[in-house]
Amino acid sequence: MSSGLLLVVLLAAVGAVAVLIRPQRASTLDFYLAGRRVGVATNACAICGDYLSAASFMGVAAAVYASGLDGMWYAAGFAAGFVPVLLFVAAPLRRFGEFSIPDFLGKRLGSDGARLTSVAVVQLVILAYLVPQAVASGIIWELAVGRGLGGLPAYTTGVLLSTAAVMLMVALGGMRGTTWTQAVQFLLLLAIFLWLVAVIAASGFSYPDALRELSSRPLANPVDDGGAWRLEPVPNRLDPGAPAFFGEPGGQYGQLEQGALIVSLAMGTAGLPHIMNRYFTSPTGTAARMTTVWVVGLAGLFYVLAGLLGIAARSIVQDASADTPWVDRLTTGGVLRVPEHAMPVLGEVFGGPAGLGAVAVGALLAVLSTIGGLLLASAASWGHDIYERYLNPRATQRQALRAGRGAVVLVAALSAALALAVPPESLSGQFPSIVATMVTWAFVLAGSALTPVFILAIWWRRTTGPGAVAGMATGTAVAVAMGAAGLLLGDAGAAQALLTPTLVSAPCAAAAAVAVSLATRPPKDVDGMWTRMHGTAADRRAVRLARLTMAGLGRRSREHRDGGRR
Amino acid sequence: MSNGSLPLAGVIALLWGAMYLVTQVLAAPPLGTGTTVLIGAGLTTALVVGYPSALRGPRSKGRTRSAPARLQQGRHGTTIAAVGRSMPLRSGLTADGARRTAQLLQPLLSGAAVAITDRERVLAFAGPGAGHHRSGDAAAPPTAGALSRGKTVLVRRGGELGCPAPECPLRTAVIAPLTDGKRTVGTLQVFRCDGALTPRGVVEGLAGILSLHLELAELNRRQRLAVDAKLDALRAQINPHFLFNTLNTIASKAHTDPEETRQLLVRLSDFFRYVVRQEGHFAKFGQEYFFVRTYVSLEQARYGERVRVRYDIDPQVLTARVPVLIIQPLVENAIKHGLTDKVEGGTVTLKARVDPLTRTTSIRVADDGAGIPADVLERISNGERRPGDGQGLSNIAGRLASLYGERYRLDIRSSEDGGTVVDLQTPLG
Amino acid sequence: MHDRHDPGPPAEEHDTPAEVDAAFRTLRRVALGHVAVFTGVLAAVPLLTGALAWWSQGRLFGGMSPMFAMTAFGLYAFFFTVCLAAATLSNAVEERMLGGPGRDAPRGDGPPAA
Repeated sequence: MSSGLLLVVLLAAVGAVAVLIRPQRASTLDFYLAGRRVGVATNACAICGDYLSAASFMGVAAAVYASGLDGMWYAAGFAAGFVPVLLFVAAPLRRFGEFSIPDFLGKRLGSDGARLTSVAVVQLVILAYLVPQAVASGIIWELAVGRGLGGLPAYTTGVLLSTAAVMLMVALGGMRGTTWTQAVQFLLLLAIFLWLVAVIAASGFSYPDALRELSSRPLANPVDDGGAWRLEPVPNRLDPGAPAFFGEPGGQYGQLEQGALIVSLAMGTAGLPHIMNRYFTSPTGTAARMTTVWVVGLAGLFYVLAGLLGIAARSIVQDASADTPWVDRLTTGGVLRVPEHAMPVLGEVFGGPAGLGAVAVGALLAVLSTIGGLLLASAASWGHDIYERYLNPRATQRQALRAGRGAVVLVAALSAALALAVPPESLSGQFPSIVATMVTWAFVLAGSALTPVFILAIWWRRTTGPGAVAGMATGTAVAVAMGAAGLLLGDAGAAQALLTPTLVSAPCAAAAAVAVSLATRPPKDVDGMWTRMHGTAADRRAVRLARLTMAGLGRRSREHRDGGRR
Repeated sequence: MSNGSLPLAGVIALLWGAMYLVTQVLAAPPLGTGTTVLIGAGLTTALVVGYPSALRGPRSKGRTRSAPARLQQGRHGTTIAAVGRSMPLRSGLTADGARRTAQLLQPLLSGAAVAITDRERVLAFAGPGAGHHRSGDAAAPPTAGALSRGKTVLVRRGGELGCPAPECPLRTAVIAPLTDGKRTVGTLQVFRCDGALTPRGVVEGLAGILSLHLELAELNRRQRLAVDAKLDALRAQINPHFLFNTLNTIASKAHTDPEETRQLLVRLSDFFRYVVRQEGHFAKFGQEYFFVRTYVSLEQARYGERVRVRYDIDPQVLTARVPVLIIQPLVENAIKHGLTDKVEGGTVTLKARVDPLTRTTSIRVADDGAGIPADVLERISNGERRPGDGQGLSNIAGRLASLYGERYRLDIRSSEDGGTVVDLQTPLG
Repeated sequence: MHDRHDPGPPAEEHDTPAEVDAAFRTLRRVALGHVAVFTGVLAAVPLLTGALAWWSQGRLFGGMSPMFAMTAFGLYAFFFTVCLAAATLSNAVEERMLGGPGRDAPRGDGPPAA
C-alpha cells in the first residue's frame, strides 16, 4: 500500500514539474543565448526522452534477462539506428526546414500523393509504437499496484488509466512536448538506472562473476505447459541440438534472424515521426548533427546500464526467489515468467517499496514521454498535413489544433483497445520480451516504408512523387505481408526472421521507388531544393544574425551599466 | 611529412599492445598466434589506410611548427661532422645562427674561446672571456686584416687583440675569413689562453664548412627571391580585363537585380582580398578552393549558362597544403581558352584527390572546350611564351619547380574539340 | 523584448548550385565511407562467432567473452566514435566548401586570420 502511495506522490511531483516548466518555443536566438553546447545537449536529452520508451526502459533489460547475449542486440540495434540518421538524414532534413515528415516529402517532391501516403504510413507507425507503450503501462500497474479498480483486472486498469492520462494531457493542451520536459524526463530515467547499477555494485555483486556463474549451465526459461509452468532448456539456434548459454550467442537467434533484427532496428529510427520531428527544432543543420552525436553517446550509456541490469536481474532474482515469497510467486525455478518484471523486481529487492516505486515511475515516465511525442507527431500530421491543407485551408490556428486533438483521442483509444487485446502472458513463452518485440514492428514499418524513401529524396535528385508513393506502398505491403506470414508460422524456423523483414522490404521499397521515379518526371527546381537542403547559407545567416544580436545585446547592456553608473 | 608518421607509429604500437593484452593476457584461453597476427595485420592496414583521413579531417587548425627547430637544437654533437650536419648558419650570418654555431664549436676546441663576427661587429662569443666580450662589440683590430685580405691572420700576442679589459685571459687568436661564395662577409676567430696557437688547418677547415653553409644560405635566399618575384608578378598580373568585364557585368545588373549585384560585389571584394592578403607560397586547399569558387561565380555572372562548373573534391584534400594561386589560373585558362570560344559553352571540372599511400595531392582541371592545337601545345610544353597567353603555364611550372624541385608533375593533354586536361601532382605535406 | 530593428546582415550569405553540388557529393562520400565502416563492424560481431570459436568461447573478465564485451560496451563506444568522426568531418567539409572565411570577423589590415 505504501508503495502505491509513494508512486502517487512521485507521479504528482513529476506532473508538477511538467506543469511548472511552461512550454515555450526555442528560437535560434534563445539557443545561442543559452550557449551552443547547452542547446545541443538539451536537445539531445529531449530526443533521448522521446526515443527511450518502455521498450528501452524495461524491454532491453527483460530481453537480456530472458536470453542473455542475444537479448543485447535489441539495445545495440536501438542505438545503431542513430548512425544512419546522423549520416544521411539529420542535417539535410533540418535545413529543408519543414514541419513534419509528410510536409518534407510533399514539398521536396512537389506531390500531394507523397504527402498523403506518408501521412498514412506515419499514422501506422505511430499506432504500432503506441500499442506496446500501453501494454507496458498495463504490466507496470499490474506489478506496482497489483489490483484493478472498479472490478477490472489490474492489467486492463493500467492500460486504461495511462490512456486516460494521456488523453487528459491532450485535452489540457499540455502535451506540446517541450524540449525541456523531455530532457528532464530522460535525465530522471538515466538517474534511476545509475542508482540501481550503483546500489547493486555496492552490495558486493560482481558482474563478471555473475556472468561466469550464469554461463556455467545451460539457459532454461519457464514455459506454459497447459496451465502448469515448468523450466525448459532453451535450444541453441546456432548449433541445433546443443544447449544455449547465457553468455554466448544462440539463445534467441540464428545468424539470419540476428542480421534481420539489427537491420530492422538500425533502419527504423530514421523513419520514426516523433524523433524526426525533433530535428526540426534544432537551430541549424550543424547543430542537428552534433545533437545526434550526443544522442548516440547518451543512449549508449543508457543501454550499457540496461544490459548490466539484465545480467544482474538474472542472477539476483534466482537468489531472491529462494527466500522472498513474493518473488517466488512470480518465478518458476528461480526464473521470472514475464521477463518485463525483471526491472521492477530489482527495484523492490534493492530499494524496497521506494525502489519499486522509482522503477515504476521511471517506466511510466518513459511511456508517457514517448506517448506524448508520438501523439504530438500524430496531431501534427492530422492537423497540419490533412486538416489545414486539404479539409479546411482557411482554418485558424485554434481550429487546426482542435482537429489534431480530436484525431489524437481517437488514435489513443484505438491503441488502448489493441493493447487490451494482447494480454502479455499469452505471448511470454514465444518471445523474449513482448514490449521490445512489439516496438520492433514499429521500427520495421518505419524502416521499410519511410527510411528508404527519405534517403532517396535527400540524396538522389531524380526522386519523384509517384516514385515515393510506390516506394512507401511497396515497403509497407512487403513488411506487413512478411510479418503476417511470420505470425502465422508461429514458432517455425524462419518465423523470427519474417517478423523483422526490413532486410527484404527496404530494398524492395527502394527498388520500387527508383523504378517508378525513373519512369516519371522529376519535380521542378531541384537545384533550388538542393541549395536549400544541402547548402548552409540559411544556417550561416541565422548564426550571423544571432551573433550580431548578441553583440548588440552585450553592447546595450554595457551602455546600460555605464549609464547607471553616471 | 615526418611529423605525421611518428604518431601513426605510436598508434600502431598501442594497437598491438592492446591486441596482445586483450587476446593473450586477459582472455582465458589465449587466441591462437596465427589468428592474432592476422587480425593485427588487418587492423594495422585499416589504420594506415584510414589514417590520413583521420589526420586531415577537422583538425589542423592549430599550428604544429617549432617542433623541428627544437629537434635540430637537441642534436648537439661533439664532432665536427655534427657541425656540418646541423647547419645553424643555413639562414645566413645572423646573430642567432652565429650564437648557436659558436656554442657548437667551442667544446670542440679544447679550452679555447670562439667568436664569430660580421664585417664590423662581434656576432657571438663563447668560451673564456665571454664575461666582457659580448655580441655587438666592435671586432678585434686584427679582424680588419683578415677581412681585407681574405686570408687567415695569426695573432701571437695578447696585446695585439686590443682588449681594453686588463683581466682578459685571451693570449693568441687565429682569425679565418668567412665567405658566402664571392664576398668575405665575416670571420671565425679562435682564441687561446695558454699562449699556444690553435692549429691553423683546423680553424680554416671549420671556416670552410661555415662558408659553405653561408653560400648555400645565399643561394636559397636568391631562389626564394626569384619565386617571390614570380608570385608577385602573378598577383600584379590579375588580368585588368577580368576586372573591367566583371565591373561591367555588375553595372549592367545593378538596375534589374540589386540582390545579385550585392552578392557579386561581395564576391569581387572576396576575390581581391584573397589575392592581396595571401602571404607565403602555400595555402590550404580549402582556401584556394574558396578563391576558385569566387572566381568562377564571377565568370558565371558574366557568361551565364555557357560556363558550367563541376567540383569533385575529396574530403581529405581540403586541408592539404597546396601552392597558392596555381589552381585558379588553371581554371581561368580552361574558361578563357576552352569554353568562351565555343558558342554553346561547356563544363569545367575541378577534381582534387589525396592519395594516402603515395602521399600526393592530385588536382585535375579539365574542360570539354575547344582544345589546344598541337603546335601550340608543343610550344607551351617547351616553356615558350607569347603575349596573349594569359596566365602562362610557364609561370606556374616555374613556380612549381622552384617550390618542389623534381617532386611534382604537371601534365597537359589536349585534343582539338576534345577539350583539355591539366593534371597536377604535388607532394602532400 | 528589444526591438528587432537591426540593420540586417552586412552581406547576404548565398550558395551557388555548383558549390552546393560539390559539397553534396563530398558529403555523400563521407557518409558512404562511414556507413561502410559501421556496417562492416556491426556485421563482423555476430559473424566472427562462426569463424573464430575464441570470439564467443574465450573469457576476458570473469565470465565475459570478447563478443559479450563487444556487444555490451564496445559497440556503443564504436557507434559514438563513428558518429563523432562523421559529424566533425562533415561539419568541417561544409565549413570549408560553402561560404567564405568568416566575413564578419573584424577586418583590420593585420595578418590574415589563418
